[in-house]
Amino acid sequence: MMRRMRIGVTATCAAAVLVLAACSSSSSSSSSTTTTSGPSFNEGVTSVINPSTAKGGTITYDDSSVFDSTDPGNTYYAHVWNFSRLYATPLMTYTSTPGAGGNDLVPALATAPGVVSDNGLTWTYTIKPNVKFEDGTTVTSADVKYAVERTFDRTVLPNGPSYFQVLLGGNAATYPGPYKDRSKNIMGLTAITTPNPTTVVFHLAKPFADFDYVVAIPQTAPVPPDKDTGANYQLHPISTGPYEFQSYALNKQLTLVPNPNWNPADDPEASQLASKIVVNFNVNADDIDNRLLAGDIQMDIAGTGVQAAARARILSSPSLTKQADDPLSGFMWFFYINTKVAPLNNVACRRAIEYAANKITLQDAYGGSVGGDLASTAMPPTVIGYQSFDMYEALSKPNGDPTMAKQELTACGQPNGFTTGIAYRSDRPKEVAAATALQAALATVGIKTTLHGYPSGTYYSNFAGSPAYVHSHDLGIDIGGWAPDWPDGFGWFDEIANGNAIVPAGNTNIEELNDPVVNNYLAEMESASSTSALRAMLANEIDHQVMSDAVMLPIVYAKSLLYRSPALTNIYVQKYYGMYNYAVLGTS
Amino acid sequence: MVTFIIRRLIGTVFILLLVAAITFAIFFLLPRLAGETAYGLATQYVGRNPTPAAVHQMEQTLGFNEPLYVQFGRYIKAIVAGEHYQGQWCGPPCLGYSFKNQQPVWPQMISDVPVTLSIAIGAAVLWLIGGVTIGVISALKRGTIFDRLSMSVALAGVSLPVFFTGLIALELFSYKWPIFPNVQYVAITQNPYLWAKNLVLPWIVLAFLYAALYARLTRAGMLETLNEDYIRTARAKGLRERTVIIKHALRAALTPIVTIFGLDLGLLLGGAILTEVTFSMHGLGLFTVEAINNQDFPEIMGVTLLAAFFIIIANLIVDILYSVLDPRVRY
Repeated sequence: MMRRMRIGVTATCAAAVLVLAACSSSSSSSSSTTTTSGPSFNEGVTSVINPSTAKGGTITYDDSSVFDSTDPGNTYYAHVWNFSRLYATPLMTYTSTPGAGGNDLVPALATAPGVVSDNGLTWTYTIKPNVKFEDGTTVTSADVKYAVERTFDRTVLPNGPSYFQVLLGGNAATYPGPYKDRSKNIMGLTAITTPNPTTVVFHLAKPFADFDYVVAIPQTAPVPPDKDTGANYQLHPISTGPYEFQSYALNKQLTLVPNPNWNPADDPEASQLASKIVVNFNVNADDIDNRLLAGDIQMDIAGTGVQAAARARILSSPSLTKQADDPLSGFMWFFYINTKVAPLNNVACRRAIEYAANKITLQDAYGGSVGGDLASTAMPPTVIGYQSFDMYEALSKPNGDPTMAKQELTACGQPNGFTTGIAYRSDRPKEVAAATALQAALATVGIKTTLHGYPSGTYYSNFAGSPAYVHSHDLGIDIGGWAPDWPDGFGWFDEIANGNAIVPAGNTNIEELNDPVVNNYLAEMESASSTSALRAMLANEIDHQVMSDAVMLPIVYAKSLLYRSPALTNIYVQKYYGMYNYAVLGTS
Repeated sequence: MVTFIIRRLIGTVFILLLVAAITFAIFFLLPRLAGETAYGLATQYVGRNPTPAAVHQMEQTLGFNEPLYVQFGRYIKAIVAGEHYQGQWCGPPCLGYSFKNQQPVWPQMISDVPVTLSIAIGAAVLWLIGGVTIGVISALKRGTIFDRLSMSVALAGVSLPVFFTGLIALELFSYKWPIFPNVQYVAITQNPYLWAKNLVLPWIVLAFLYAALYARLTRAGMLETLNEDYIRTARAKGLRERTVIIKHALRAALTPIVTIFGLDLGLLLGGAILTEVTFSMHGLGLFTVEAINNQDFPEIMGVTLLAAFFIIIANLIVDILYSVLDPRVRY
């Protein structure tokens, strides 16, 4: 009797498992119905999918984390810069178009690119007349000046880039921002003048040929001084874009509705199609993918691609694959090889690492070819001036070249190898895998490494980005990634390869390269006489020099597998952001 | 009884001070003992691309160069009397200022409390009723199919983590069979029906874990109690079986259940972390995870103090309930 009962229970459980499996497979087979028409895989990289001018509907975004800030003067995340175009109009912006044109600058709030004078020290912009804030008041040049001024107080707005503090002349070096002693300091930045309500003039400390790129950063989106609430401005920035804040529960949910005082003719690079835009924050990352595939939401706002489980599901289903794009994200993942930690202060020892590394296992750590293309240069293909070259056989011998590695070890006086540390972010599984893969590859030529994991939140501020810590803990190899603030060689290399960029905390020149050749090329790029063709050529020269110095071990030019919701219209990959352009979306 | 409660509340204040001191030491003393400088600590509060001047300014603003006891004293003073941060007034109880979110900590936490309360209390009702009922029936029907099946399911419930059952529940009941589509928190004041509907899955998933534990505990307690002489006496006196079970046997078996319930509910009120993360509900648990990911020390300290407060109060209520359940207990 007992034995019959046990058999019965076991049979029932087995049947339940089979039913679940059948439901799962029938569900996936119903979602893998092949269609013979419609968009194809990667079509969103080069074409606009579902072009439409239809209005209405709600677009829902989910975010697995939170914005650093919705305040356009206080954000440094690529997806937030992308999203902020819905409510913030900077002086310049990027052409809203798929393909290569997506890296081209065009005026937004300004009528034209900056007029350069005074040997490159003065940049004059004219802003479009009668552009309105959401409350109907007219935007003036003073609002643009104030927007830049407020970013000088890093205790109130700590997150955004600090280019204006570094580049502007006048009293920029000592200007404290408008929040302290407001009566004295508001409009007190002498480096920006506003001779009339539609003209704003920037006075630089030294020529900077890329200044049009700098004013494309959201920090130049106008802010009315009487409506600025400082740290609380993030709760309701006053809009100059197609949408305005309806409600914002900090780090929980943001709702945007159409801005009635926005004129489409003022900003052809943005659109006002959806009736409502909702962003949900702190949503479980795997749940975001499930909601996206189920159609409950239309976009994963981070724009860094689906998680591993969804990736497998998409790539194994022809119908889902058609709805996916796998663009270059603009990011590059690599290892910094420090020039101050012995024996890596010898270039031959650094080159030994370049030859010994197994690029295939490193690429696998980042998800294989879907996660990124094998990298052989210090600059990715998305940067203007990129040309492919393969100095250390990353492409010709991607599994590594132990023979050449050992020759370099002999040349640097370490024929039996040496010992050093590898730093990585322990809460990033891909970096854990990459560090482990590199350790294994280096061990084959006698380079013994110890792994050091650190939390990503303080990796740059306290560990890899602290030269003192790197030296004292023998962290000769440090993993990292980079994406440029603007897509040319200066935007790529200045923070990560300029000797003048080395700082005691938050250092991004982690390899501590101080090569006069590189420094001089970077200075020449921004000189008054620089042209775009010259800058492209110099970018390539710097790329070669940095690789010759062997201070970076390139891993992959990062790619992101993005899922394209069929409910969205006008969807395409914006090259500058490496993700879908959020400023032009509508919904069917 | 009143004296007992007052004494315990005074004790609560001292315990919370101790918790605050220990947490403060962990985040601000230990790094300094490990060699971290005031400058290094300040870099965590100045965003991604700080200039040295900005870091120095933040160092002064946060008082990292002051003695630690001064910093702690200012923190305690802010809890009692409030403090100004970045031109914003942080009224009492001011549990610090999040320089990452640039908002005082207390209002952020308070806005998350209703979510955690909704999840914890709803699940608690389910697991208490379900777990105790199943445990009683299992004890009464010891050795039967019901007993074996319920204890097997209880074993599964205790063994399977919330993030597993939660994801399975979402996959089945939210995506495959959209009975509960697009689960997200809706305030009860906004729409009571949607509030309840969207919480069904989190309640069941969380209650499944705890009900299993309570079923086993209740069963064990009941089995022990049912063998007592006074139960045999009660039956011999002709009392109805329902009266014997509920008024005499269950009441005696409830004491350990109440103890555990107090601890469990107190812990959950500090944040049902796994449930909130799995279902993406913005309660104190998700707040805690975000604070830890961001290394936002003021937020971590704030949520630690609030969680400790809930646990202490829950234990106080449990101790009061003892006197109700067991007439021998007097304070």
